[in-house]
Amino acid sequence: MSGSNGANEHTRRGFLDILLGLSVFGSLGSVVYPVLRYLTPLPAGGPAGPATLTRDEVAALERKQFVIIPVGGKRVLVVQDADQNLHALAARCTHEGCTVQYVPGEAVIWCACHNARFDLDGRVLAGPPPKPLPKYTAERAEDGSIRVVRENV
Amino acid sequence: MNTAGSCRGRQGWLDRRYDITPLIEFLRHKEVPLGAHSMVWYYLGGTTLFFFSVQIATGILLLMYYQPGEATAHESIRYITTKVPFGWLIRSVHCWSAHLMILSLLVHMFSTMMLKAYRPPRELTWISGFVLFALTLGFGFSGYLLPWNELAFFATVVGTDSVKSLPLIGHWLLEVLRGGQDVTINTLYRFFALHVVILPMSCFGLIGLHLLFVQRQGMAAPVGADHAPRGMKFFPNFAIRDLLLWLICLLALLVLAVFVPYGPTIPGMEWELGQKANPLAPAYPGIKPEWYFLWIYQLLKEFPPHLVGLEGPQVCILLVSVLMAVWALTPWLDREAQRNQDSPVFTDFGVALIFFFTFLMLKAWDIGALGGGQDPASLRAIAWTCGWWMLAIAVVVTAVRVLFLGDRWLVLSAAAVLHVVLHGIVGLSYLSAGAIAAGLAALPLAARLKSGVQPVVGGGAR
Repeated sequence: MSGSNGANEHTRRGFLDILLGLSVFGSLGSVVYPVLRYLTPLPAGGPAGPATLTRDEVAALERKQFVIIPVGGKRVLVVQDADQNLHALAARCTHEGCTVQYVPGEAVIWCACHNARFDLDGRVLAGPPPKPLPKYTAERAEDGSIRVVRENV
Repeated sequence: MNTAGSCRGRQGWLDRRYDITPLIEFLRHKEVPLGAHSMVWYYLGGTTLFFFSVQIATGILLLMYYQPGEATAHESIRYITTKVPFGWLIRSVHCWSAHLMILSLLVHMFSTMMLKAYRPPRELTWISGFVLFALTLGFGFSGYLLPWNELAFFATVVGTDSVKSLPLIGHWLLEVLRGGQDVTINTLYRFFALHVVILPMSCFGLIGLHLLFVQRQGMAAPVGADHAPRGMKFFPNFAIRDLLLWLICLLALLVLAVFVPYGPTIPGMEWELGQKANPLAPAYPGIKPEWYFLWIYQLLKEFPPHLVGLEGPQVCILLVSVLMAVWALTPWLDREAQRNQDSPVFTDFGVALIFFFTFLMLKAWDIGALGGGQDPASLRAIAWTCGWWMLAIAVVVTAVRVLFLGDRWLVLSAAAVLHVVLHGIVGLSYLSAGAIAAGLAALPLAARLKSGVQPVVGGGAR
């Protein structure tokens, strides 16, 4: 009798321990979860594209053959090649995230951080990047303004 | 006698209330062991603490003017260095002291490693020190961004980017760290909070614990001795020496800060304010992190885009994590030191680590580059020149170890040198040279560790 009673008490205590453990985890969770959500940044604001180049950006494009603009919170490289064709690619190097630039003399896109080279379609020519640069589309409207939009893959 | 009497009076008043006699007795009897090795190594924790205190003091002063923000961060630092009386000095001392603190910490850590002071019962002292080391690197990394200049901006872009290689939580952690997908002014806010609140508070706690451990256990006696043969009284003998060294450190710090206010201007050791960061400007050549991160910067460059089915940077981060884990867990891995025996494997591991870091650092400085270019011929020339330099350093270090310190087990450091020779002088790629050297070292290392596990054989293996 007493043995079964003891076992009974044992399970009762065990049950209470589980409840206690759960409530501890629950309390911790109710503190940790809001903090983690608080720290996780919201998705980037602003229009997700298309973006139109400002007058200054068009001027910079004419002058340096390339310009970097924000599109939907991301850096985008817009290039005007020797034949006046427009190219647009993510400016974020796929290696370690530095900002790439266009080298007009060699007609390549270059990342200065670890000496990576891409062609104008974003393909890796040399250096350590594991992936090509994502492509965007740049179009010149009839009024001469330039619109950049993420290419649908 | 008079002073002693008045002391006793005040002491008596405090003692009746707080019972401080045991504390006084403890300090009176505290001794620093004088052993076979030089005492120099006992001062390095103290100097690190000294530089840390300077950081707290100058950091608080900088806080009086610094304003984080897109339009104010760079401008307020410019204001501090150009307008505020002695602002340049405060900033210069803060920068110099940061570098000296890390230097002192590194030497402290390596001396602990070489003297096996981490062996039982001091494992937790080592671990708390290792975490403090990680926090200090965090201090350096987060503080670097706060002036919001171009160099720091791109160094932070590259430095934080490697976080994404962590399995599962990598991308989430990267966003939390940056306050968004990219490095923006939000990143600066987060780094500011880290640098001035989170890291200092964590450090205070851990330094307290680290010092408590050291006080409870005393300094480690040399390997093989149960107690140190002789001791030096901590009060006043050792404390006075400590104080004198701190004074010398302060003096050196001030001389450097006054005469070299922007650092020695070698990559990784310069803090000219420079151009304000512009997230839409392209990166430029010569983006380099602080000197204590140069080795990992260079290592990332040595990895190809893909390796064994993973992305190059991921493999690199994995390798570095394994290396750091071995370093952190040394007290548990080093079975011989646990038995209070010499453990030449871990001494040699320490030396090999130093060779490994130094070679990468020399390469990161582009020593021997042809016209500053990064083309294959220039990279080859850098590897060649740095290889010979490293070989010369290694020969001197090894000669000192063999002739003066009596070291005989040199497999790991020999592998590190072989790596340098194969890559720098023979011309293999960094990774294939490393694979060959590691492969050759693996067999004798395994044999040595196996013999070290068995208590009886382990003693005679030296």
